[in-house]
Amino acid sequence: MKICLLTYRGNPYCGGQGIYTMFIARELVKLGHEVHVIQGPPYFPPMEGVHIHYVGNHNYFNKKKDYIKPHKPFATLRPLNFYEFVASKFGIFPEIEAFSVRAYFKLRELMKTHRFDIIHDNQNLGYGFLLIKTLGIPFVSTIHHPLSIDRSTWFEYPSEFSLKVKRVLYYPLIMQGFVARRLDHIITVSHDSAQEIIKAFKIKPGKMSVVYNGMDTEFFRPLKGVRKKPGSVLFVGNVEDRKKGVVYLLKALTLTKHKVNLTVVDGGAPNRTYVTKWIDNFKLNDRIHFTGKIPGEKLLELYSQSQIAVSPSLYEGFGFPAAEAMSCELPLISSDGGALPEVVGEHMKTGYVVKARDPFGLATAIDYLMDNPEVREKMGKAARKRIQQVFTWENAAKEMVKVYREVIDAYR
Amino acid sequence: MPRAKIWGILAVIVSAGLFAFLLYAVFFIAGNDGLSTLPVDLGEINTLTYFSVAVPVAAGALFVLGTGFWIGWVILSIKVVPPMPEIVEKKDNSKIKALLLCVSTALLAAALVYGVYVRSFWALAIPALVISAVVLGAVFWVGLAIITTRSTLPTDGK
Repeated sequence: MKICLLTYRGNPYCGGQGIYTMFIARELVKLGHEVHVIQGPPYFPPMEGVHIHYVGNHNYFNKKKDYIKPHKPFATLRPLNFYEFVASKFGIFPEIEAFSVRAYFKLRELMKTHRFDIIHDNQNLGYGFLLIKTLGIPFVSTIHHPLSIDRSTWFEYPSEFSLKVKRVLYYPLIMQGFVARRLDHIITVSHDSAQEIIKAFKIKPGKMSVVYNGMDTEFFRPLKGVRKKPGSVLFVGNVEDRKKGVVYLLKALTLTKHKVNLTVVDGGAPNRTYVTKWIDNFKLNDRIHFTGKIPGEKLLELYSQSQIAVSPSLYEGFGFPAAEAMSCELPLISSDGGALPEVVGEHMKTGYVVKARDPFGLATAIDYLMDNPEVREKMGKAARKRIQQVFTWENAAKEMVKVYREVIDAYR
Repeated sequence: MPRAKIWGILAVIVSAGLFAFLLYAVFFIAGNDGLSTLPVDLGEINTLTYFSVAVPVAAGALFVLGTGFWIGWVILSIKVVPPMPEIVEKKDNSKIKALLLCVSTALLAAALVYGVYVRSFWALAIPALVISAVVLGAVFWVGLAIITTRSTLPTDGK
């Protein structure tokens, strides 16, 4: 099969999108398929057997200055760039929409020499996809979770009116719903997410399939000979993303019997503003350590050094950090937000599940696991076993191919 | 001076000059004696001619006002779980502001539709001026960025 994957951000080291595309591409190649990836920046590195095609952008939304490239000073005045530039000044996030149009032109160019059997988007759903639909190729998209959840979790936290206006403008929900309903099939990564997508985008249940994400268990493994730091708790995720529920974890740290220390790996948060205020207010400065962006090997070391990992998210479509911790035999305390219970599995066996938004529950769980080292060990081992059995990229790719075949057959 | 910078300066001058001209044309040329005695009578224009200009301009303006109304409505109507009491610092009055946004955009939209219906010059001139301001403002901004972008490394290598 000749498959074309689309991802507007390819970088596999921040956020789940790049990870998803990279591993799916790798496994599809292993299964003998010809895989092309059209990706936007930041790009993932060249991969053996995968044909990578690049689509640029100027990142006007994030770059407040220095967006003019000296060698292309007038690029901003080109129509699509100019639209991106103006829209980003009004707080709209135009990258998704612009990528979808650029991907259309790139696909048209590629189709002079290739005939794809299927096109598979990774949660872009820009209006440009309606143009791609006219190319007459079966077109599916993976939606990890609807962004309406991100928006409503932002609104849960008290904030200024201007910030709320920005959040409403930022999430392209109308466009994504409109485009999603017109694609041939939607794939999602958990049953909980499927329900949320049906609710948010009014997708017919028959047009959806659940294919669980995988986990690279060869990389995310317990390191031998690494000593656990007493009282160490690990959180991995973007602390500025309100959906991650870090504030509830901080509050929990003020309630625990054990004076545990929290290490935060937040490679995705370039500017910490919100969470640092609450660290000050809760007087936790001496108990929180931020690592910033770290390489994968260092993260692996931290998983092995820590005694507990916590995933206090208000919602997760899947929850890669939770699965990574489990894969490293680290006992996980997870909230019941979104698909986390699906990933974690059995409460008290493969993980400790507490209610989302419950700092008291989190504190009780931390104290319980700190008091019971034998439970921690048993839970960690059971967690890794579950990840190895249920969440592999090989399974994900095989399931994906099944969905592709069904969609292609229905299209004919 | 590098050619790009010259074009950047031109973009700044042309966009600023054009906008100044637009302001002058709308507010002063249209009425020989200023705003109070504007003699423009759009009623004399052929109906088809008038609406071929009025409809696209009004549609653009209504789209913007509709977006404003929608933002206010989302903030007003979204249902969320109340936050943890510890993180509530002050009373959240964003719902009141959202209501004001909805009311003001609805009133403006009604005024616009009425203005277009009675063929008021201002019902077309103000939206056209705002749209021009956005486009020319963006060109001005880009021009300014081109002028201020350093194209070579400083000689001291810092």
